[in-house]
Amino acid sequence: MKSSRTGREGLTAYVFLSPWLIGIVLLTLGPMLYSAYLAFTNYDLLSPPRWIGLDNFRRMFTADPRYLSSVRVTLVYVAVSVPLLLIVSMALALLLNKGIRFLSGYRALFYLPSLMGASVAIAVLWRQIFGGSGLVNQVLGVFGIERGSWVGNPGTALWTIVTLNLWAFGATMIIFLAGLRQVPVELHEAAAVDGAGPIRRFFSVTLPLMTPLIFFNLLLDTIHAFQAFTGAFVVSRGSGGPADSTLFYTLYLYQQGFAELKMGYASAMAWALVIVLAAFTGFLFLTAKRWVYYGDER
Amino acid sequence: MRTRLGTTALACAALLVAGCNGTSVTDDSAGGGEGQDGKGEITGKLQLTFWGGANRAAKTNAVADMFVKEHAGVTIDRQNADFGNYFNKLNIQASSKTLPCVMQLQGRQLNDYTKRKVLLPLDPMIESGAIKIDDIPKEVVDTGRGPDGKLYFLPYGAAYDAVGVNETLATQAGVGLPPDNYTWAQYTDWMTRASAKLPKGTFAAGSRGGLPNFFIAYQLANGKQLFTEDGKLGFTKESLVEYWTMWEKLRKAGTSMGADAQADEPEGAEQGFIAQGRLLTDSIPGNALTPASGTLATKGGGQKLTTLPMPSGPSGGGNAMFTSGFAIPTNCDNVPTAAAFIDFFTNDPEAGALFKSDNGAATNQKVLQAQLDDPELPELKKRELALYQQIVAKKPPTILYPPGYQATFESTFTRSYEEIAFGKKTVEQAAESFFTEANAGLGG
Repeated sequence: MKSSRTGREGLTAYVFLSPWLIGIVLLTLGPMLYSAYLAFTNYDLLSPPRWIGLDNFRRMFTADPRYLSSVRVTLVYVAVSVPLLLIVSMALALLLNKGIRFLSGYRALFYLPSLMGASVAIAVLWRQIFGGSGLVNQVLGVFGIERGSWVGNPGTALWTIVTLNLWAFGATMIIFLAGLRQVPVELHEAAAVDGAGPIRRFFSVTLPLMTPLIFFNLLLDTIHAFQAFTGAFVVSRGSGGPADSTLFYTLYLYQQGFAELKMGYASAMAWALVIVLAAFTGFLFLTAKRWVYYGDER
Repeated sequence: MRTRLGTTALACAALLVAGCNGTSVTDDSAGGGEGQDGKGEITGKLQLTFWGGANRAAKTNAVADMFVKEHAGVTIDRQNADFGNYFNKLNIQASSKTLPCVMQLQGRQLNDYTKRKVLLPLDPMIESGAIKIDDIPKEVVDTGRGPDGKLYFLPYGAAYDAVGVNETLATQAGVGLPPDNYTWAQYTDWMTRASAKLPKGTFAAGSRGGLPNFFIAYQLANGKQLFTEDGKLGFTKESLVEYWTMWEKLRKAGTSMGADAQADEPEGAEQGFIAQGRLLTDSIPGNALTPASGTLATKGGGQKLTTLPMPSGPSGGGNAMFTSGFAIPTNCDNVPTAAAFIDFFTNDPEAGALFKSDNGAATNQKVLQAQLDDPELPELKKRELALYQQIVAKKPPTILYPPGYQATFESTFTRSYEEIAFGKKTVEQAAESFFTEANAGLGG
C-alpha cells in the first residue's frame, strides 16, 4: 500500500518535472548526442551524414591551419581578457565598498553596461568608436596622435574585442561586491590593531576570504570567454578578419557549419571545445584545494 | 484527486510534446495539387524569400501584393535578409527541408543547391505552359541552368558589375574618364595620374586586390578560364601573382586606400566609399548607380557618379552576366502557386513596371522595352539599362560557378589579399595558400 503511494508520488513528481525534462531531453541532450554522432561524419546539412571515423579530428590538427589560428586567437583572448576582467571588477568593487554616498546609484550605473553587454547594438557601436574616424581616433587627434582604424588593423582588432568584453564588468563586480560586504569587520579591526595597513589587510584578510568568489568568477568568465562570439562576429562582420585576427573558435565553427556546410567538422570542433572546457574546469577544481579558502572549514 | 492531477499534468506534457513536433515552419499544404509540371489550382499559402535592403523589399512586396490581389485565396508570407546572411539562413532552411516555395537565387550559389538536389527542375513547368520564357533571350534563360542542363531558377533580372567613376573628382583632377575599351594598364595608369591631384582624404581606388568581382573581370579580359569542368580553379597561380602585384603597386604608392581603412567601409553599394565621395573609382554593381548616386548627392559639391564597363584585355571585355531569379525547392507542396508567382514576377508587364529592374535589367524583353520607352524613366536608370544593353551586345560569357564558390572562393580570396596587404605573407605565399584552400573547398 505504502509503496504504491510512494510510486504514485514519484510519478506525479516526474509529471510536474516533465516540462523541464522534455525541454532538456529534446532541446539540449538530444541535439548534443546527435552532434556527437555528427562529429564522426561528413555532413553537409543537405544530404545524409556519412561516417568517416576520426577524420574530422585528424583534419583539425594536421590539415587546417585556420583551425590552429582560431585556437591561438581564442587562447590569447582568454588569457588576457579574463584576468583583466577579474582585476578591474575587483578594483571597482573595492572602491564601491568604501561606504560612499549614493552607493546604490553607482552600483546601478556600473551594472548598466552589463545589461547591454555583448549585444549586437553595442558591438556595432564598437565598430564606430574604434573605426578610422571614430571617437577614439578623434580624441587621440586632439593630442596630435594620428592612427588608422583599430578594427581594420590585424594588430589591434582583437584588443577592441577585449575592451568590449571588459566593458561588461558589472556582473562580476556585483558578485565581488556582495562578497566584500560579507567580510567580517572584526577581522579588519583586529588586523588594524595589530598594525596592518590597508594593503596588508587586503592581501591577508580580504583576499583570502574572497577566494571562493574569485574561483566562481574565474570559472564562469573563462567558460564565457572561450565561447565568445557576438563581439567578434559583429566587429569583423562575420569574417573573423582582418587577416583572421579575430577568428574566434566559435566564429570559425559557425563559418564551417553554416557557410561552408561542413556540419560534421563543426560538430567535431564543438566537441573538442567541450572537452577542453571540461578539462579546464576539472583542473580548476583540483587546484582549488590549494588556494580557495572557505571560512567555515578547518 | 491526486490521480486527476497526475492525468492533467500528463495531458499538459503531451500537449507540450505535440507542440514541439507540430511547429512545422513551412505549411504550404493548404492549396494546390501535386503537379510537378506547375499545373493546378492557384491557391493557398506561399512562402517567398529574397535578399535585399528596404527599397528592394518594398518593391518585391508590392509585386507580391499585386499577385495576391489577382488570385483570391492566395496568401504570401515574405522573408528577406541582406545578401550576406541570406544564404546562411537558406542553408538552415534547406537542412530542415523547410525551404520557402519561392526562393531567390543567383548563379553564384546555384550549384551549392543543385549538387544536393534540393531544387525542382523548372523545365516541365515551361513545357506545360505554367511558366513562360518566350520573351526572355535564350542565353539569359541558360544562366539558370545547372551542370545537368536543367533549368533550376528562372532569371528575372540580369545584372553586371561596372566600374563606377566619380566624374566630379575625375574632372577636378584633370584626367577625365578612361578612354573607350580601356585596358587594365590604362585603368591603373589613369588612377595613378589622378591620385596626386585628389583632395586630401580621398583616394583614386579602394584597397581592392581582394575583391573577387574585379579579379573575375581581369581573368575574363585576359581570356583565362576561371573554373575547370570539375569545379576547381581554372587559372594559373602566375596570373594571380601578376594581379595582386598590380594592386600592391597601387597600394604602396598610396594610389589606393590602406587595407585598414578599407575594413571600415559600410556594407552595401548604397553606403560604400565611392558613394560617400571618398574614392575616384571602384567596382560597383551596375544597378547600384542609382542608389549610390543618391548618397553621393547628399555629400555636397554636386558630385556625379557614372558607370563604365569593366576594363578590356586581349580577349575583349571583362564583363560577365549575373542573373537573379526564383527557384522552387523539392520540399514545396504548393508548386502550381509557386510556378504562377514566378511567371507573374518575371513576365507580367505591370509587375515589371512596379519592380523597375531593381535587381538588374528585366530579362523579359517586353518588360524591359516598356521601361526604356517610358519618358519618365530617370536619367540614372536609363544609364544603367543602356550600359546593360551595350554589355549584352558583346555577348558576355556566363560563368558556371562551382559548389562552394561563395563560401570558399570569395572569403578565401579576400582574406588572402588582406594577408598580403598587412605584410603577413608575400604575394607568392598568399597565392600558394589561396590555391590550396580554394581547391580543397570547391567543386566535389
